Amino acid sequence: MKNKIKVYRAMHDLTQEALAAELGVTRQTILAIEKGKYDPSIDLAFRIARFFSVSVEDLFQYEG
Amino acid sequence: MRQNTFYLMAGVTGLVEVGIFWLAVQLRNPFLIMVSFIIGFVFLYVLWRQVSDRKDDERAVYITEKAKSRTLDVFWVIFFALSLGSAVIGFSTPLHIPPPNPALPPDNFRVIVRNVHPDRPFMGYFGLFQLILLFLLILLYLVFRIYYSRKYGDWDSDEE
Repeated sequence: MKNKIKVYRAMHDLTQEALAAELGVTRQTILAIEKGKYDPSIDLAFRIARFFSVSVEDLFQYEG
Repeated sequence: MRQNTFYLMAGVTGLVEVGIFWLAVQLRNPFLIMVSFIIGFVFLYVLWRQVSDRKDDERAVYITEKAKSRTLDVFWVIFFALSLGSAVIGFSTPLHIPPPNPALPPDNFRVIVRNVHPDRPFMGYFGLFQLILLFLLILLYLVFRIYYSRKYGDWDSDEE
């Protein structure tokens, strides 16, 4: 699954550490999601989307 | 309590358990180490619950679950195979059934009697066998844990 977290993070001038702290996860989790190595749960995906005030579809693109 | 303090306490507890194991062997008291091990485990569990800087997010939980699941998948096959081997050894052994006429024991019965040593610690060997299996279980878990940690980006470098 592709995502634009890195783009939105850059737009909000946030480090991985800061975003991780806001979402209550580890920095490694943010890094793994950005690199596409880990697909977040629906709950975390919605929390990330809500944090950046975008829809989940804007943030994540499913690659069937 | 900090996580590093917990690991320090776990190490100390492990050393104490080794000491108690040695003492249990000297005293020939198996219950000493059994009870001590359970107390040690409960003690560490209570300490673990008090660790304040623990960071178990969903990815860490996912990695743990995957590693546990794969460990079980592989271990039960190995355990089954070894148990089948053990069963074959068990069934191949004569059954100690007394002959119809005890005054005239058959040849194979005499062999059985000669090979049975009452002082031989059969249960002890069984315990060692179980310990080896347990270490195999832990080793399998560590291998799968490392594999899934790598797969889900535990050791990836920061791109920032």
